[in-house]
Amino acid sequence: MTEAANELVMTRVFDAPRELVYRAFVDPDELAQWFAPVGWSVPRDSVSVDARVGGHQIFTMVNDADPTQTSPVWSTFTEVVENELLVGTEDVDMSGGTSPAKFTVRLEFHDEGDKTRLVLRQGPYSPEMENNARAGWESSFTKLDALLAG
Amino acid sequence: MATDRLSAIFAALADPTRRAILARLTEGDATVNELAEPFPISLPAISRHLKVLERAGLISRSRSAQWRSSSLDGTGLREATEWMEPYRRFWDTNFDRLESHLQRMKQRTTTGRNT
Repeated sequence: MTEAANELVMTRVFDAPRELVYRAFVDPDELAQWFAPVGWSVPRDSVSVDARVGGHQIFTMVNDADPTQTSPVWSTFTEVVENELLVGTEDVDMSGGTSPAKFTVRLEFHDEGDKTRLVLRQGPYSPEMENNARAGWESSFTKLDALLAG
Repeated sequence: MATDRLSAIFAALADPTRRAILARLTEGDATVNELAEPFPISLPAISRHLKVLERAGLISRSRSAQWRSSSLDGTGLREATEWMEPYRRFWDTNFDRLESHLQRMKQRTTTGRNT
C-alpha cells in the first residue's frame, strides 16, 4: 500500500491494437482530437510532439465556453519505447505562471489479446520536485477542480 | 492543506526505507529496535527516518522514553492520496474520449488509410 501512496495508478483496456493507442498520444493530429476533459479542446496548432528521449510533448487545452481560459501542458520525454512506453516529466501550469507544478506521467502499453491495456502512473514526486517543493499544489488543484467542474 | 506539508509527506514517502517502515507499522505498533531489525542500518539512522515520518504526520510516537513505540497516523496518508482524486477524474474522462477516438481511428484504418 505504501508503494502506491504517492502515485496515481490507472489501468484501462482499449479495444484497439497497441500501435493505435500509442499513436493517439504521439501523433499531433490524433492527440488534438481527444486529449482534454469535456468542455475543453486542444487546438491542433498548439500541439507539437517529438517522441524521443529529451523531446517534448506540448499542447494547450482551451475552454470551449471561454477561450481565454487555457491550460498549457509542457512535457519532456525521459523514456520512450515505440508502441510500449512513454515517460514524461510534465510541467502543469494552471495558474498562469505563478505556481507551476511538476509531474511524472508514465504510460505503459501492454497487449491484452488483440486489445491494449494502458497503465498510467502519475507521481507528484520526482527528484526534481525536491528543488521545486513549494510548487503551489493547492492553487493548481483548485484550478483543476474548477476545470473539471466546468 | 498546506503546500509545505504536502511536500513533506511526499518527500517522506519517496524513501524506500521509510515506506518499508510504514508497511511494517500497518501490522501494528513497534519500537525503534523492532523497526530497525530488518534493515542493515544503525538505530540512529532509523530514528532519523522516524523523525521525518513523524514531521510529515505519517506516524505518531508515544512519549515513554525508553520504550517509545511508533504507530501509523492516517492523516498524512489521507492527505497524500487526496491530491490524486482530481487527476483520477481527469484521466477517467480523458480515457472515455480516447476510447471513442480509437474507434474512429480503427474505422479509418480499415477503410483504407486516406488521411
